[in-house]
Amino acid sequence: MPSVAIFGAGPSGCYVAQALAKARPDADITIFDALPVPYGLVRYGVAADHQGTKGVIRQFERLFERQGIGFQGHVTLGRDVTLDAVRAAYDAVVLATGLSRDRRLGIPGEDLVGVHGSGAVTRAWNGFPGAEAPRMGRRVVVIGNGNVAIDLVRLLAKGASELHGSDILIEPGAGVQDITIVGRSPAEVAKFDPVMLKELARLEGCAITVSDLTGEGKVIEALDSLHGHAPAGSTKRLCFRFGLVPDRILGTERVEGVAFADGTVIAADTVLTAIGFDGEPGWSASDDGLLAPGLYAAGWVRRGPRGTIPENRTDAQAIAARIAADLPEGPGKPGLVMPGATDYAGWQRIDAAERAAAPEGRVRAKITDHARMLTLARQTGER
Amino acid sequence: MQIAVLYGTETGNAEMLAEDIADHLSDHVVTVTNLADFAPSEFDPRTLYLIVTSTYGDGELPASAQPFGAAMAAGAPDLTGIQFAVFGLGDSEYPETFNFGGKRLEEMMVAAGATLLGERVTHDASGDDMADDLAYPWAEAVVALAEPALA
Repeated sequence: MPSVAIFGAGPSGCYVAQALAKARPDADITIFDALPVPYGLVRYGVAADHQGTKGVIRQFERLFERQGIGFQGHVTLGRDVTLDAVRAAYDAVVLATGLSRDRRLGIPGEDLVGVHGSGAVTRAWNGFPGAEAPRMGRRVVVIGNGNVAIDLVRLLAKGASELHGSDILIEPGAGVQDITIVGRSPAEVAKFDPVMLKELARLEGCAITVSDLTGEGKVIEALDSLHGHAPAGSTKRLCFRFGLVPDRILGTERVEGVAFADGTVIAADTVLTAIGFDGEPGWSASDDGLLAPGLYAAGWVRRGPRGTIPENRTDAQAIAARIAADLPEGPGKPGLVMPGATDYAGWQRIDAAERAAAPEGRVRAKITDHARMLTLARQTGER
Repeated sequence: MQIAVLYGTETGNAEMLAEDIADHLSDHVVTVTNLADFAPSEFDPRTLYLIVTSTYGDGELPASAQPFGAAMAAGAPDLTGIQFAVFGLGDSEYPETFNFGGKRLEEMMVAAGATLLGERVTHDASGDDMADDLAYPWAEAVVALAEPALA
């Protein structure tokens, strides 16, 4: 049977596998991931208090549990195995490893203590192995006007009781009093989903004001109705500002504030940037994901670091259709069994341990220690 | 009984559930069709329609159901004699628009003259239930309701 290796067990890699398994039931598909745990950004990017969104995992579990798709964890392409070796062993190779580097503002002061990128913060709050959650100061400025910025703001604004049902163990906004979210563009062109803004109207201990509101549309309506949200006994304040272009981050060692091009200065103890991700995928793919014969790119590697889970699903289906057409019939290349790789049963042991350790009001306690993950993944015996 | 499961989806959750429902009803003749590939002119009074749909964005239909929704609105089809039921997938994290997708499709079908069997059931992605555990009893109950006319 023809063999397929997919690198990256995030949503794009899993959706490629799902569509490919449907189109080519004869294919032997293995998904590799650098971690012993699958699901990538569903586990480490989707906010901890959006468990419903993480529900797509139930589709992906089926790939491994019923559809015969293999999982080899703890395998890093380029470190544990070369791309050439993988291509020699598989009829098709899909790169779906994502892009995770935070885009930089490119202004002075960006490297001061207390300035953090949204990707690093989100990974830490989501329990990514080795990612340490930065301490938040009393006054936090969030720079960015997309849904990632809203995720940060919402988690900062929530009190411990509002994190019920999530899988976050810390309280990210402990000690935070003032949150300012700033966009360089006018409110009218902010990239917020209105539904994400409306969710903020349910914050129980945070008063909201919206300044610089101009124009019209669904985002403006949603922002307008947030203005004046003031639950009794609020201990936090959230302010939306627009049309402010960051000029430099102030401070000597630690951040002290943000100066904007129009002369506005906002005092801050912590600055979070949420202006997107970048990184060099190192390849340039055609629209259907083809990089070279038998080599494909999917997800953010192909389309750049943007787009929601549904958009990347549509994309993954198109790439799977291309691969299905290219795959040979009959016997194919033999595939690889990586020494030291962990398997799906190993992830199930980690999953069970995380669920069993969940404290009251949380759905799981993620294991954040890579070595402990490996130990659990490699345990054999009872299953 | 001839049963058609129609689904509207964005992430694939409703598609998977539609396929599971079809497997569960395997004593009948069941087809599974994406609403993106289904036109209102295809409704057949000898078939029971089970509609499975999610909700997206600000209470809108999921992408794969949008062409169908537009065709229903534009074509004003007469669906008298068509029997259907709706199972919605929602997320109570968004209470203002919880399961609006299912609600919208139900309203369109009823407005066109179709007969709703049973009550619309909604699975909550932020709740503890598995969608299948709610959907199987729902599907069985709807099939029983349709039996007098369609068996």
